[in-house]
Amino acid sequence: MTRLTRRQLMTLGLGAATATTLAGCATPGMTSVNTAPTLPAAADGKPVTLTYWAWLKDLQAVADIWNAANPHVQVRTVWIPSSGQGGYQKLYTALAAGGGPDLAQIELRAIPEFMLVNGVVDLARYGASGDATTFDPTLWGQVSFSDGVYGIPQDSGPMATFYQTAAFEAVSAKPPTTWTEWAQVAVELRKNKVYIDCFSISDPSSFVAYATQAGAAWLKADTDGWVLNMTDEATLAVARFFDTAIDSDLVTTAFALYSPPWFAAAANGSLASVTDASWADALVEGVANGEGKWRVAPMPRWEHGGYGSSYRGGSTTAVLAHSAHPAEALAFATWLNGSHEGIDALIKQSGIGWSPIKDYIGADRTGASDFFQGQDYNTDVFLPASTEQNDKWQWWPITQQSLNILADEFRRKPSGQTLVDSVAKAEASILTAFRNKGLTIRKGEA
Amino acid sequence: MTAPTTGKPETTASTATTSRSTRPGTRASTKIVVTGLLVVVALYFLVPVYWVVVASTKTTTDLFSTNGFWFAPNFALFDNIKAVVTYDGGIFVRWFLNSLLYAGVGALLATYLAAAGGYALAKYKFRGNGTVFGLILGGVLVPGTATALPLFLLFSQLGIANTYWSVLIPSLVSPFGLFLCRIYADATVDEALLEAARLDGAGEIRIFHVVGLRILTPALVTVFLFQLVGIWNNYFLPLVMLSDTKLYPITLGLNTWLSQVNRLPEFYQLTTGGVLLSIIPLAIAMIVLQRFWRGGLTEGAVK
Amino acid sequence: MSSTAQTSEKAGPRTRRRSTPTSRAPWLLLAPFLVVFLLTFILPILAAVGSSFVQVTRKGLFGEAGVSQEFAWFHNYALALQNSSFISSIGRMFLFGIVQVPIMIALATVLAFLLESASAKWPGAFRAAYFLPYGVPGVIATILWTFLYVPGLSPVIDVAKWMGIDVDFLGAGTVLWSIANIVTWSYTGYNMLIIIAQLKSIPGELYEAAHIDGASPWRVARSIQVPLIAPALMLTTVFSIIGTLQLFAEPQVLMSVSPAIDSQYTPNLSAYTTAFAYNDYNVAAAQAVLIALVAFVLSFAFLRLTNRKS
Repeated sequence: MTRLTRRQLMTLGLGAATATTLAGCATPGMTSVNTAPTLPAAADGKPVTLTYWAWLKDLQAVADIWNAANPHVQVRTVWIPSSGQGGYQKLYTALAAGGGPDLAQIELRAIPEFMLVNGVVDLARYGASGDATTFDPTLWGQVSFSDGVYGIPQDSGPMATFYQTAAFEAVSAKPPTTWTEWAQVAVELRKNKVYIDCFSISDPSSFVAYATQAGAAWLKADTDGWVLNMTDEATLAVARFFDTAIDSDLVTTAFALYSPPWFAAAANGSLASVTDASWADALVEGVANGEGKWRVAPMPRWEHGGYGSSYRGGSTTAVLAHSAHPAEALAFATWLNGSHEGIDALIKQSGIGWSPIKDYIGADRTGASDFFQGQDYNTDVFLPASTEQNDKWQWWPITQQSLNILADEFRRKPSGQTLVDSVAKAEASILTAFRNKGLTIRKGEA
Repeated sequence: MTAPTTGKPETTASTATTSRSTRPGTRASTKIVVTGLLVVVALYFLVPVYWVVVASTKTTTDLFSTNGFWFAPNFALFDNIKAVVTYDGGIFVRWFLNSLLYAGVGALLATYLAAAGGYALAKYKFRGNGTVFGLILGGVLVPGTATALPLFLLFSQLGIANTYWSVLIPSLVSPFGLFLCRIYADATVDEALLEAARLDGAGEIRIFHVVGLRILTPALVTVFLFQLVGIWNNYFLPLVMLSDTKLYPITLGLNTWLSQVNRLPEFYQLTTGGVLLSIIPLAIAMIVLQRFWRGGLTEGAVK
Repeated sequence: MSSTAQTSEKAGPRTRRRSTPTSRAPWLLLAPFLVVFLLTFILPILAAVGSSFVQVTRKGLFGEAGVSQEFAWFHNYALALQNSSFISSIGRMFLFGIVQVPIMIALATVLAFLLESASAKWPGAFRAAYFLPYGVPGVIATILWTFLYVPGLSPVIDVAKWMGIDVDFLGAGTVLWSIANIVTWSYTGYNMLIIIAQLKSIPGELYEAAHIDGASPWRVARSIQVPLIAPALMLTTVFSIIGTLQLFAEPQVLMSVSPAIDSQYTPNLSAYTTAFAYNDYNVAAAQAVLIALVAFVLSFAFLRLTNRKS
């Protein structure tokens, strides 16, 4: 009896060990679809349905324009939460399960991260390089790595300042042209208990945009690996500036951009402006009773050089690794983001950011805006801004994790740690995170 | 339920007595103080519910501009409810039905499984009885959330992630339910009854179904309710397992709506309306069901 | 197979039959439960343990030059424990547990006593009111309370401002307790019902005897009621401890309105973020194993402690 029991136990143990090994063997995302042969397009006449996961509003209406003209390739859109709200988690989960949609909305800054888990198809293998000239070269550069193309740019976010005219007129201020002037206006506004802007300690992408504007380039891909430098003079100058701004109570850190408290503050006039990307116009238009109260001005510049504007956000349409129809998916993506028809529909229905097509800002974007006091802000402000951006900036494979690391450090600001120190500490943690992922990286010189 | 104010203890016929602590002469002033305290506490528990009732009658602009505790001049309740139920092809109704499916079917089957297991552990002596029970007890102490992630990877390998099964199968296991059933079976299922049935020639399985289940019914109700609420409230498991919105339970669905409020302010109304509609049946169910809630402990402790 | 006949001890002299049905029956009855239990509890835990001992290495800028998996000893555990966010999340949960659990159990006990005392009016109605929040799923309860915490939407903040108090529910020092409030709101009624059930089972004779001895109501509570509801208190406390370590939905929903909540605020949130935002499945598995261990040890220790006392 005892021997039998022992044998039973051993069998159980072996079974468990096998199960463990089998299960442990399967870390997702290890095989790359880009080393396998390319998939041919479906035979003529065979109907194909593509699924497209995105957080754009009313995207199906845009897809239906394509569906009407292409009866054999039908596109079905599915809404997922935005990247900050768990959308990427949904994509990663689906990819890990061996499934997922054919197409997905992936921000420019997240493309390398998806590449790291072999989640996106190299579209150059399906002929995407031929479309390079259609698109803005800054954007095309952000989706191209080592002769491959990993997404079709969809929109970008040149930045400017949206401001409430009443608040500024109350202190007799004009929209600031430099950040120093910006600080002076902020001081005046504080006398009326109004904040000029908020500083999102939980979402450092605004800080990144300001550093980019000042001329920083945190990560570069070198031949032998990555090179990191976050503590260059440009970045530190920006950090020092905002350290002073927060310490002097010129900006509030109590809430993040476009959160419910932000909308409440904007609606009751205690928040005077927001310096953000062109697609923020849709969000500003969502402020309760805001019609006719806002205007757009160019972004303030840094005194010590840098660029006239910066960018925040910007998405692409990428083809995911487990898609059965990458060729058809690429054709749709190129139409969607590269044709006037597609972009016009995207602007009209989905309110995307700045058009990715070189020299075309979209039919709806020209002309006066009722909301913004009749200002033709796209032509007057954003079009020039889009030509003054930092084209040396590159994204890297652990962008989201890096931004989270930076945010965690920024969160210590209320308890006394300066932004300058936070940047330095984040840099060290990001180096470690890179190495833990098995990648080669070194710290660069200024 | 109210004890008479004569100060005599109240006893009922059964051994498990409904006893009230006795105090000679409950004074009116004490009554007022106690009732007052209870009312204040009740306010704490009910204020959020009251708020959502009021909030779901408002439009988004009113939500931000009017006092939270009173209604706005623009009574938009029916518009909001209509929007909630028809948005996106009636997906809210689908979410609700999904929750019913996961919770109802899951709890039913889980109760049956727990009853069978608890009965077996209590009424039979066999080698391994203690080990199995210990193993299952360990399962009670391990948070389900620690197993959700590896379970997801396992189900992905099996190809059933992002399906109804991926949420139903884990819901079928209730270690605490088995623990309860075992205690209850130990205490209340009389061996003599079982022997009598065996003498009549009934098989063990049949005995379980005919005799055991009937006696276990009070514990089964508790296990069912416990598991029902547990599955209904479960958020982490469906979050990890499901990516198709059509399969979402109502918890995931409403959070999805909430996550859109920053970009599309109309979702404030949808969310408050959805929360209201989901709370009403839950509230009714809780009010009705609280009298059945025995907690389970007293079942075994009776003897 | 079995040389020893399976006999039921309570049965009489007719136990000498082969009783194969009786020896098979318990396993048959247990089988469905065990199979699903193995699949959904044991196997994932084993898989998590297995996954936590493996790591992935990459060559090239994005791993395009080769990705491989290798045995990693305790490297993932070291990484998990070096991650200061994960450690602080565990510390945060300890703090939360030490404060919130006793308060909630104490509140539930006091309410149970009040409702069961002779001077309570409409106990049924109050019980229903207190139990109602339990039926509201944690996510929905958090959505509710989010609206009550956000300045500009919250009437509570407005009332406080009118009284001259400036209250911030979502700041770095207060948001943890705002979460504690949501948990207390949700589960006090449930715990209260468990305690009431136990209270009801106290035999009336004990009260009679105490009454005859002239004991005051405080004495009755202290010497009779509290010791006899000890099992209920133990059960609710253990469940609350386990619940504290599982905290996920509340912080995740509040993240969108409170900048103070980072993506690794609680251990579970940390594991989720590590797995699905950073794609670090192996480290996430190590975190999950650590969380399970801590929960197990704490609950076990608590049960041991209380068993020894009684």
